[in-house]
Amino acid sequence: MKRYFALVKLLFTQQYKLRPKSDERSSKKKRVGTVIALIALALCFAPTVISIAVAIYYLGRLSEGNVYVAGFLALMCQGLVLMFGLHTVISNVFVVKDADKLLYLPVRVHTIFLAKLTVAYLNEVITTAFVSLILLLPFGIGAGASFGYYLMLLVAIATIPILPLFVGCILAMPFSALIARLGKSSAVKTILRIGLYVLIMAVYMYAMYSFGFYTSTPNGNLMDDPELFISNILNDFVARLQSFVPYLHPNYMLVSSMLAKTFIGWLGYFAAAIGECTALFAIIALVSLPFYRRMLSTSTEGYGATRHKAKPEQFRASNKGVVKELILTDFKRVARDGQLGFQSFAGIVMLPLIVLIFYFIMGQSTAEEASFLEFVAVDPLYQVVAPLIILAYMTLLGAGTNVLGLYPISRENKTISMLKSIPVPFSKILLAKVLFATAVMLTCDTLTCLLIVLLLGVKWYCGIAMLITMALVCFGAMCVTTLLDLKDPKFGWTNFNQSLKNAKNSWLAMLIGLLATVGVAVVAVWFVIWYVVMPAWYVMLLMWLCIFALAVGFAVVAYKVMVGKSQKYFDQIEA
Amino acid sequence: MIRLYNVLKSYGKSSNLAVDNLSLEIKEGEIFGFLGPNGAGKSTTIKMITGILTPTSGTIEVDGVNIADNPIAAKSRIGFVPDNHEIYETLKGNEYLNFIGTMYGVSASDLKTRVEEYSRLFAMTDALPKMIGSYSHGMRQKLLIIAALIHHPKVWVLDEPMTGLDPQSAFQLKQLMRKYADAGNTVFFSSHVIDVVEKVCDRIAIINHGKLVAVDTLENIRKQNSESLENLFLSITSDGEPQ
Repeated sequence: MKRYFALVKLLFTQQYKLRPKSDERSSKKKRVGTVIALIALALCFAPTVISIAVAIYYLGRLSEGNVYVAGFLALMCQGLVLMFGLHTVISNVFVVKDADKLLYLPVRVHTIFLAKLTVAYLNEVITTAFVSLILLLPFGIGAGASFGYYLMLLVAIATIPILPLFVGCILAMPFSALIARLGKSSAVKTILRIGLYVLIMAVYMYAMYSFGFYTSTPNGNLMDDPELFISNILNDFVARLQSFVPYLHPNYMLVSSMLAKTFIGWLGYFAAAIGECTALFAIIALVSLPFYRRMLSTSTEGYGATRHKAKPEQFRASNKGVVKELILTDFKRVARDGQLGFQSFAGIVMLPLIVLIFYFIMGQSTAEEASFLEFVAVDPLYQVVAPLIILAYMTLLGAGTNVLGLYPISRENKTISMLKSIPVPFSKILLAKVLFATAVMLTCDTLTCLLIVLLLGVKWYCGIAMLITMALVCFGAMCVTTLLDLKDPKFGWTNFNQSLKNAKNSWLAMLIGLLATVGVAVVAVWFVIWYVVMPAWYVMLLMWLCIFALAVGFAVVAYKVMVGKSQKYFDQIEA
Repeated sequence: MIRLYNVLKSYGKSSNLAVDNLSLEIKEGEIFGFLGPNGAGKSTTIKMITGILTPTSGTIEVDGVNIADNPIAAKSRIGFVPDNHEIYETLKGNEYLNFIGTMYGVSASDLKTRVEEYSRLFAMTDALPKMIGSYSHGMRQKLLIIAALIHHPKVWVLDEPMTGLDPQSAFQLKQLMRKYADAGNTVFFSSHVIDVVEKVCDRIAIINHGKLVAVDTLENIRKQNSESLENLFLSITSDGEPQ
């Protein structure tokens, strides 16, 4: 047991540890800056989080702490935990990369496996704790739950991740086997990883939509009798939940114990919940262990590429120009690295997927009634306001999730010394990195704009205007985030996810995106008012021209600042 | 060809000097061995010569070019073989060489000729189409050696170059170093292997705790000291803590 705990401690803390900083004073200064940026960003996101929490609070109040609704919320938590945790389960548990580091230790294979599984579980517990704060806590407050509910919330945080871990392992095993079979086709592996991620996200969204409020067709009218209307929706919702929540038995037992009115009831449900979760964990371990052994043997006894004769190939020299070569080399490196590739390219499909989900939620129409989307899209003001709102989301999410632009220097890790030794001006190296990140982000934006035009009824010329703006804003934002990473790069990681755990850059990028959005909003609002008063085409044209000018200004200034400061920061890197 | 004037280096805001007032001059056609125990400041010095680290004070010139004033021109004159073997693992060997060739402005035809020549010499022709991640320690070292030479640098800097090489490749490397220096270029390398240094170098320097403690030709060192280079090295470098 001692060895098991030592391994868990090592593997868990390794995820968060980076090389220690030498300069205590400047690191304190940076910490203060980060805290201020985080507070600013938290304030920006607070309205969204608070509105979700308030909605859940009312759900708790109206449903009077209904056990099926609580079960549904627990399932929502589990879906999110699965989405965020599946990639970690695959890469940290089943894709065996650290065999050389662990196998010579006097520890049994099953101890190593259990330690890895425990670390995956602990990561999911952290995610559950955050999600529960927004879902299960306000539900309990709204339902006027007893003290026992909040005490049981701690148990829930520990038990809710078991089911996603179980599903995660079931999905991860065939997937990891497929990945291992693909051998050296790293780019295909990356595409498969992204495909799986999209599939899980789509299934989750579809499931939540199927059981959610949106599918309700209640009797009555909101205007005539709001209370009856809401009560009808809720009854429909609960009726649907009744048909499936009890089948997720561990969940059902858990929420039943949380909302139990008597001690005997609580004890029974609690014992059942704990027993079922323990059994589930044991099943995961028993089923996955043989598979882990197989993956381990494939990784240690499988072919080494050097032992295989590659096809004799003549060396083909090419000279593409420095920036182009830097971009292509970077692209190959990222695409062929499973973790880096997934983190870098998964963002491409995220925004288009959100648009699709939005379309499915808002665009559903019946023979008698037009959809909400059809209803609003006919208003001329829609063509002015909708692109602006979507543009704001694209900037905010795009900048914050583009790993390529957020960690262009950190991902070099130890190879940074190579970049420092080549006779190429550093501004060119940075330009290549910014162009690469912008190109990836623009792929996402092009897909998003295409879907917006095709599905959300936004006019094609607005789509093109959005794309041009995004190209400029992306470039500027990537210059800023690249400079931020250059100023405080994270080297010394052994697993790329380690550098991502410190999500400071991501938050800062979102803040930059937010500031850019505010800039656009400040300019656009006057034109919107003008358009309301006088709905003429040239008002829209002028608005976009002003936005373009602003975006060009941002891109140019950001690039100049990056080039101006880059050499100083680059020289400070002591690789 | 390489000149260091009063070079001093401390990391961050630390008061400890990794390199302390180092002055050296390495001439054309010379193979210069740089010796010192672990942590003596060899790699730091090499990193400053190659432009990876900036000296805290002092100047470094490569082929008459001050690296602080004109880093790009100075780096173009250097071919560097690092000791850590940290190269892009997800690139193939030939992709890496193409990348390096482009960075150093080597024309496609020159690149092809040189890669073919050196890869034959180091028995790497079959390995080049494979991913670097699959290479052994020695193969990575050989790839780095080829990459350092494809632009025909005036100065060839190698940090612990013999580590991981098989006997054939080590022999080829020693021969190549000699040939390269005889062609009027400079070879500067650090090593722990005294035997190799004795066989290959024209001149050596010994560094300890960041300070230069000896610099001379091997002949002179032998004349002045009756003991072997190994014993001399051990006696010079086992003098306790720095002042």
